[in-house]
Amino acid sequence: MSVTKRPKKSRYLIPIFGGMLLTFKILLKNLFSRKKMLTLNYPEEHYKYGPRFKGNHILTVKKDGSLRCTACMLCATNCPANCIRITADEHADPNVEKYPISYEIDILRCVFCGYCEEACPVDAIRMGPEWQTAALNGSNFVYDIKHLAHRENLKGGVQSVVDDKERHKAGI
Amino acid sequence: MKKMIKCTINNYPVEVEEGTTIIQAFKKLEQEIAHYCWHPGLSIAGVCRLCMVEIEGNNKLQIACNTVVQDGMVITNQSQKVKDTVRWGLEFHLINHPLDCPICDQAGECVLQEQYMKFGAYQPLMSEDKVKKRKVVDLGSKIVLDTERCILCARCTRFTDEISKTKELGIFNRGDRSEIGIFKNKPLENDYALNTVDICPVGALTSKKFRFQQRVWYLKKAPSVCTGCSTGCNIDVYYNEEGLWRIRPRHNSSINQYWMCDKGRETFKHVNPSGRLKSSFRHTAEQTEKMTTFQALQTLKLDSKKIGLVLTGSYTCEEYDAFLDFFQLHSIYHWKNNPKNFEDYDNFLIRGDKNPNTKGLLESINKRQLKLEDCTQLEQNISHLDLLIVCAPENHKLYPCLEEKINLFLKSKELVWISPHSHTLLQKPINTVWTIPSKTYFEKTGTFINHHGTRQKIKAVASIVDSARSLEEIIHILKTGQTDLTQIASIRDKMKTNYFMEQKGSL
Ligand code: SF4
Ligand code: SF4
Ligand code: SF4
Ligand code: SF4
Ligand code: FES
Repeated sequence: MSVTKRPKKSRYLIPIFGGMLLTFKILLKNLFSRKKMLTLNYPEEHYKYGPRFKGNHILTVKKDGSLRCTACMLCATNCPANCIRITADEHADPNVEKYPISYEIDILRCVFCGYCEEACPVDAIRMGPEWQTAALNGSNFVYDIKHLAHRENLKGGVQSVVDDKERHKAGI
Repeated sequence: MKKMIKCTINNYPVEVEEGTTIIQAFKKLEQEIAHYCWHPGLSIAGVCRLCMVEIEGNNKLQIACNTVVQDGMVITNQSQKVKDTVRWGLEFHLINHPLDCPICDQAGECVLQEQYMKFGAYQPLMSEDKVKKRKVVDLGSKIVLDTERCILCARCTRFTDEISKTKELGIFNRGDRSEIGIFKNKPLENDYALNTVDICPVGALTSKKFRFQQRVWYLKKAPSVCTGCSTGCNIDVYYNEEGLWRIRPRHNSSINQYWMCDKGRETFKHVNPSGRLKSSFRHTAEQTEKMTTFQALQTLKLDSKKIGLVLTGSYTCEEYDAFLDFFQLHSIYHWKNNPKNFEDYDNFLIRGDKNPNTKGLLESINKRQLKLEDCTQLEQNISHLDLLIVCAPENHKLYPCLEEKINLFLKSKELVWISPHSHTLLQKPINTVWTIPSKTYFEKTGTFINHHGTRQKIKAVASIVDSARSLEEIIHILKTGQTDLTQIASIRDKMKTNYFMEQKGSL
């Protein structure tokens, strides 16, 4: 620990007035040009983040509308908040083989680090630009497949860039 | 004794028996060497060409699994020449390998994955398309085959040829179309079939029961002894917070070598929390009273009653000793799973005696010179008894005569049923029935004596049902009336905290 001695003659009044000056300067600036003001009247006004903002998760879908996720659980393994739960099952199509019958994210535990998105080998999970998680008391904060892949504002789901059929055609 | 010869491996001098292969010498020295087709329990195939080593004075590289150590050999697998060869051998294996690790059940314990990660061979250098083969091929009721992932190491075919001697598997076709397969209408159904899943170095053979249940890196393993029969195979139990998931054999050269039977792999289910008896009950014709195990044991009146004791072979030697010392009876009833085929043996591992510790029970009884009677004698004597204590089998599925015997026991005036599980017949009795939860092999420390008389220690891994008590703990409570078992050092050391949860909590 370092101990500093207070100067004997304190001239603290000068910085205080300096601070007041700054406050009034901004006040006057905002009063006369309100358009440049930074503060928003949330929730009436919303800030628009860029499309790369990491907000609520989206599970992408294939061309036929089924989930892209292969239930490999790499996202769940990578998640530092341990908030992803997946139950895998055998798919009827041997070329798909494994798929999730349930996929849940406990969004209140999520720290929005984006590690799940990074871990996914098949572009099945993305973090979308939505950022408002607020909901009423008693709402369900454990998002399931229906919400993650097919919620209304996704308008039919987001398509993954990797598709099984194309992959097989390319001989991969 | 065999002649010992000297050689040098990676600059370490080592002395081995004459006739040892280089790979065995590597294993003895605990030096790393990649190998897919060699397995210590099988014959040598020498097909994967990954175990390359350089021998001084020999221009060509040799495979370690099929070269015998000669006196004075200087061997290395650290040279650049060996590394390059292994790298290209690996590339060769990956030409048609799908590398679908994300959906492959073997990922995490796959030697091919380990190797290509080590060499960074993520992108195949081959410009041709991969040959597509059959995926999810049904080999029978237990096993699924993925011919694309198979690296044709022939471990599985050698297993069915040499160990199970059933010869179901074979390699069909030639060149890059070769694949493992079964013959028409001859599924892979032998009693040891799941060993092929263990020895398959990649995810080509997967067990239907375990497939997609868990990723292996979520599981911990604990050593134990199989309770499926009196052979007492050494096993590893794989578990996590949600329960037990699978059992695999652990090497023991004098009992099970590297193998175990398929029935034994199922003996973890009865340990899992669902379906377990979670507290003590007193069932009478009129009502059912729920209580803690302490309360039950304290309410139970034993004084001046004529007691009969039925024992099965699923408890540890220490538990039998504690029980027999406390009750001081002259004769004990022995409940066998099936007296008719009790002595059966398939000449490999499986025995008809479906208890891990029948020998231990007999030893404890002989030590005290007690009389051992079977359940037919109990039928005649049951009306003379005031109280019948039944230390029921741990795994009810292995006792086909369970219901018949319970109906017999229910004829007694008062019945104490000690077992990890209850039974519906016990819940609506005419007389009084006490059900007291006991521990399974996963939760207790003790000794099992197998059919050959080998003593094997098991160690408690975790507690699963908090109210369950081992027979030792039950005797301690009966003796002293003390509820705090942690006071007794010998018992406290054997107790474990509960590691399992029924459901992951949410906010
Ligand atoms: S963003 Fe981070 S915390 Fe949230 S689910 Fe993904 S990995 Fe887990
Ligand atoms: S979202 Fe991606 S990483 Fe997560 S389980 Fe599905 S495929 Fe695997
Ligand atoms: S066998 Fe191994 S390398 Fe091949 S897909 Fe499975 S885990 Fe990956
Ligand atoms: S199925 Fe497995 S054990 Fe059998 S040859 Fe293929 S890789 Fe080897
Ligand atoms: S382990 Fe030696 S060739 Fe396969």
